[in-house]
Amino acid sequence: MAGVGALLLAVALAYGRGLGAALWLGGATYVAFVVVHFEHRVDATAPLVAVLLLLCGELSAWSFDERWQVRADAALAWRRGAAVGALALAGLAASALVVAVSAVPANHGLAWTVAGAAAAVGAAGTGIWVARR
Amino acid sequence: MTGFISPRLPLYASLAASGLVAGLAFGRVEPVALAAPFLLALVAAVPGREPSVLARLSLDRDRALEGDEVTATIELSSAAGVDRFDLLVPLPPELSVEGAPVRSLLLRAGEERTVELKLRCERWGAFSVGPLLVRAGDLLGLRSWEGEAGEAQRLRVYPSEETLHSLVAPLETQVFAGNQVSRVRGEGIEFADLREWQPGDRVRRVNWRATALRGELWVNEQYPERNTDVVLFLDTFAEVRAQGRSTTDRAVRAAATLAHAYLQRKDRVGLVGFGGVLSWLLPESGTRQLYAIVDTLLTSDIVQSYALRGVDVLPPRTLPPKALVLAITPLLDDRTAAALLDLRARRYDLIVVEVSPLELLEPDPASSAQLAHRLWRLSREALRWRYEQVGVPVVTWREGVPLAAPLEEVNAFRHLARPA
Repeated sequence: MAGVGALLLAVALAYGRGLGAALWLGGATYVAFVVVHFEHRVDATAPLVAVLLLLCGELSAWSFDERWQVRADAALAWRRGAAVGALALAGLAASALVVAVSAVPANHGLAWTVAGAAAAVGAAGTGIWVARR
Repeated sequence: MTGFISPRLPLYASLAASGLVAGLAFGRVEPVALAAPFLLALVAAVPGREPSVLARLSLDRDRALEGDEVTATIELSSAAGVDRFDLLVPLPPELSVEGAPVRSLLLRAGEERTVELKLRCERWGAFSVGPLLVRAGDLLGLRSWEGEAGEAQRLRVYPSEETLHSLVAPLETQVFAGNQVSRVRGEGIEFADLREWQPGDRVRRVNWRATALRGELWVNEQYPERNTDVVLFLDTFAEVRAQGRSTTDRAVRAAATLAHAYLQRKDRVGLVGFGGVLSWLLPESGTRQLYAIVDTLLTSDIVQSYALRGVDVLPPRTLPPKALVLAITPLLDDRTAAALLDLRARRYDLIVVEVSPLELLEPDPASSAQLAHRLWRLSREALRWRYEQVGVPVVTWREGVPLAAPLEEVNAFRHLARPA
């Protein structure tokens, strides 16, 4: 599956199609791998894999945009690079936070329970906000 | 402006949703961790709002010649700023732009930016430049808004002209003063002959030397300078077009050149566009007529038509008596050929300038195509022979040869042959 995903990514870069399938296969391969090989442990590299998948999508899209014959301001490339970098770092932090929070035992006190409930409400609220915009 | 979202957004949303579902299904945190950056990207795309951008397009001039460069200036400003602003000036194929046709800019809040594009006029015609096609988006390209901005600008590109040293003189002149020495004797400057004095002759016309020799009054006769009527007969029934070149382009260039040259001689020049769409301009003189002719030529185009059309559909004043008719044609359509023979039968002074399509047509190496090409060339020879039989000079204007060359051929033909 990983091989097919890599092949699809190469095809996507060459022909500009199939990026979605490549990312899907990459993600599915990783999930299958951790389900099989990490039975009672958490894979600490999950945030890195997540950010790499995101970077695959963003950098491929940037590559597609650059194929048009466009005369662009130099500042645009720097700003986009910074934006992609910032998004990747923020994604890494968010993903790491998810992994870190998962290590906390479920029955560790009221404060954690309240924090978890607030996080769930916040996630649902963010989802609704995104959907409404 | 119309809003669009990048195809990545639905993809990221589906990846994030799948990660969350997989996390629940397998009871593991890794799929949720996988979904987190994609959720963050979705959140990052949300704050984008439709930007407000003011755009103005202007050209440094609205008339140009073939081969000229025209500068298009685009002035942009935005109160709130735009992270990435793409703009494209839609251009007809006859105009090209130096470098990339699309510009991407960073518009800061309150900043005014000016973009200059050098447009090269590759071919004559009347064109519309703009309105601008614009796209404003966020830095990551996750959301964008597209639309049109600015007003379209009109640009007229006139055909470049050939250099002519001499023109074909018409066989007959008109009654008004001009630069053409008439064949009919009258009041003028050019000496024609001597004749005996007759009552009514002015004293200043007496040739005293001839009078002294002969012992009786003899007077000088002169050729008067008169104007002529020239009708440019442009065949727009059919053309041959290959590799960006066409017979119509050259025909229009020839017509513009001839109109300019004859109008400079104070002649009256008219125009007949004979093709799928019939157009005409009555013969007139002056600069205004030159602009009218060139403007009409700019709209000349080949329009497919099966209508049987002869010269009888033209208004009579379009073809005044004694006019020189200069037909500019690739000799591709039988209707034009018949109309020209009809004009000759009506005793018009007719000259056919054949805009040669042969350079644009390379016959296929296959033997059948070669044979067809030879037969076609033979049929063109036969048509030329028919014209010459009725006293019409047919000169071929080949690509790469100045227009002056075939016109000199006409003058040579007229020295040898005396049309009826």
